Amino acid sequence: MIHFLDWANHTLFYYYLASNFAYLTMLIIALRTSAGHLRRLESVRFDWIKESPMVPPVTLLVPAHNEEQFICTAVRNLLDLDYPDLEVIVINDGSTDKTLQIMQKEFSLRLVRAVYVPQVSSAPIRGLYRSDTNDRLLVVDKEPAGSKADAINAGLNAATSPYACVVDADSVLERDAILRIMVPILADPDRVVAAGGIIRVLNGSEIEGGRIRRVRLARKSIEVIQVVEYLRAFLIGRESWARGNMLMIVSGAFGMFRTDLVRAVGGFRASAIGEDFDLVARLHRNLLEKGADYRIEFVPDPVCWTEVPSDLRSLGRQRARWHKGLLDVLWSNRDMLFRPRYGRIGSIALPYLWLFELLAPVIEITGFATVLLAVAFGALSWTFFLQFVLFGYGFATVISIGSVLQEELTYKRYNDWQDVARLVSYCFLEHFPYRQMHMIWRLQGLWQYLRGDMAWRPMKRLAQPSVDPDKTDSSPVPAS
Amino acid sequence: MGSAFDTFRKLGPAAFVLRAIIFVIAADVLLLAFILLRRTYRKWYFANRDARMLAIRQQWDALISGTIPYAAWRTKTSERELIETMVLDAYEVANLEESARLLKFMRTSGLVEKRILEARHHKGWRRHKALVALARTRAPEGIRALAEGLRDRDPQTRLAALRGLGRMACPEAAKEILNWVDDAGLLVPALPLQSALIQTCAECPQVLLPHLHHANTTVREVLGRVLGEVATPSLGTELLRFADDDLPELRAAAARGLSYLKPGAAVTVLSELAKDTVWFVRLRAIVSLGELCHRTALPFLLRGLTDSNRLVRLRSAEGLVDFKNELLPIFEKVVALQDQYGLHAFLAALENAGLQASLVAEIKGTPGSSQTHETLLQVLETGRLSSEPSSPQESVLAKAAAQS
Repeated sequence: MIHFLDWANHTLFYYYLASNFAYLTMLIIALRTSAGHLRRLESVRFDWIKESPMVPPVTLLVPAHNEEQFICTAVRNLLDLDYPDLEVIVINDGSTDKTLQIMQKEFSLRLVRAVYVPQVSSAPIRGLYRSDTNDRLLVVDKEPAGSKADAINAGLNAATSPYACVVDADSVLERDAILRIMVPILADPDRVVAAGGIIRVLNGSEIEGGRIRRVRLARKSIEVIQVVEYLRAFLIGRESWARGNMLMIVSGAFGMFRTDLVRAVGGFRASAIGEDFDLVARLHRNLLEKGADYRIEFVPDPVCWTEVPSDLRSLGRQRARWHKGLLDVLWSNRDMLFRPRYGRIGSIALPYLWLFELLAPVIEITGFATVLLAVAFGALSWTFFLQFVLFGYGFATVISIGSVLQEELTYKRYNDWQDVARLVSYCFLEHFPYRQMHMIWRLQGLWQYLRGDMAWRPMKRLAQPSVDPDKTDSSPVPAS
Repeated sequence: MGSAFDTFRKLGPAAFVLRAIIFVIAADVLLLAFILLRRTYRKWYFANRDARMLAIRQQWDALISGTIPYAAWRTKTSERELIETMVLDAYEVANLEESARLLKFMRTSGLVEKRILEARHHKGWRRHKALVALARTRAPEGIRALAEGLRDRDPQTRLAALRGLGRMACPEAAKEILNWVDDAGLLVPALPLQSALIQTCAECPQVLLPHLHHANTTVREVLGRVLGEVATPSLGTELLRFADDDLPELRAAAARGLSYLKPGAAVTVLSELAKDTVWFVRLRAIVSLGELCHRTALPFLLRGLTDSNRLVRLRSAEGLVDFKNELLPIFEKVVALQDQYGLHAFLAALENAGLQASLVAEIKGTPGSSQTHETLLQVLETGRLSSEPSSPQESVLAKAAAQS
């Protein structure tokens, strides 16, 4: 028994070491990539892109379900985005409130016979509406199907542009976000098939007319911890994975895709729990099987602001759902593991996600159990244990502070000294007891998936444009 | 020498962890100190920059007119960069007279020369910066340096140079790009190349022609697309030559360019191109026929309504709807075609143009057989040619028609 415990604890130690080494590597890659990106941006003049005669049209797909409170502001802001050729398609996903009626009145919508070719499957369409005041706006009214993926698919069928960008109705896009996310696509349209922007936490910021007036850090601890998590996930995780062309997630809250390719893989999978993650995995599979030379990029400067859960219950549900989504996608793509035809995706990205993301809570809880058993059997070296905990804690803070540093060096959205001080302090405070709670939520997600519990549990909504946890960025795959 | 693994084994996990703890504490302290110092420095830097900008702004006219000697600021890097940024920002929004004054200042103060030198001799992101700044000046003497940037090994630098040349928007820049493409082939993605060429060839599309004749297939496709965008009536006979080119891209370009010609000659050629085997050639031809908006194009637009390609049908319908004074006879012909897809395309275009109500009024107000009127109104209302039971999608269309 003691021999087994010793072996288990050693395994845990090396697992933890490998995981931290991976994070450190990602931090270094992300810092280098961001520096390069910023220098490249110096040679990109957005007004030149705007004036360019060959800018491809973009369709914004905005699924909306019971959004009567914010839909008009959101649509107005989207129509007002800085991009020369933009079409906005709002998909009214069987709203039971007055979402459609309010839009009809505000934008003078009229029922039209616009072309609708059901190339990807979605619930039946009730009608298509075009605005008399702005012909760039099309509203697709469809039967409810209970999934965001189904609504996006309906929008995809109506889209006429070569690129489609999925945006949540309750998120706030910065005015030049579409121009910025299109930069890698415009620079290499043959190879870049999708690009994701950064999602930032809206809580705490001042909003006026649906636009950010002043960026401030959220007030509640639980929200600030999520800010640190998002910085880590996007500025370190996605930046570095994208560098190696192994990005597995383009956020459902703000992601640009080549329309023909999304249609070619059958659109978003309605039964998927993390439909964005699922789509990117299928895109990789499809393109790798064809032997295509392609890239899926992450662009860190086009910002989409979204509200995150502000109570533990909602957050717990969100994280459990994300983990279910992770297992769902990894399981359905398990045949890609270690298969040479799937290149780095099969040999690095997917094994990493299995080992250091999906199984992380299981390994952590096993670690707790073996440590307790070692204590019970008197086999634990307390000195080593304390040193190990201290090292783990210290290393995790290095990664978190690294993500704040990355933010400071590059995009610097939090300008207030007080905000930065609070952000840094939560790099130290997030580990107890938040990290342990996070582990439990993720285990709950695994358990729910294994039991077949896919029930939808909405979060508590706030007064300002708020978010359903299941509708936002389905799975940011935190970097630590 | 022992391997890293040997060293690690000798250290043992406990000793390693102890060292690792020291490392992470040091790393935490260093990161925090860096953030703190950087913030403090930036605060000072921006306050200082703001003060300098204000001081420059207060002496703006003296600076631009050269009353303040150039030597007073040219040798100070930060001062020069600040002035250059301010001048370029002002230059981009200036009127003609002010632009000339600012360009003269940039020339006489040596700012343009400096950027040309940097664009030629620097490497990497410094060259990027110089190329962008040079393009922002739009000074023709920068074209050579920008053209040299096209031959850089770094793809990002090539792209910056290409965009810069596009910004110049003059045939000289187009010639440099085209010569480079002739020599090197397609070393940049097609989209930015097309954009740059459209910007530079707009004034004089003739510069494209010699290259179109001898370039390889891939380049010809790109140049063909550019030609389609920039074609003017002056290219008339040349465009007719491309109408029977082997490359569909060039036939499409010819089709597009022909919309600028007089209808007489153009409709004949376009009607042939509208029967092409490649869908996008047909599409371009139909769009051009629509743009010509000439009665002789009507039969070909009607034929386009029965095309196998959805986009061709839609564009044909849009072209037909533009004949606002002849909507009723056109609609009668559309119904006579007995093509359900064509009818849908026509009705969609009619609704998008908001002309359905006027067509209804026209049908009701025209003398003639009431049965014919009834049939036309029914087709208009239901969107169906026969009396077959309607599908759910068709009932949506019928509802749309009824509401509008």
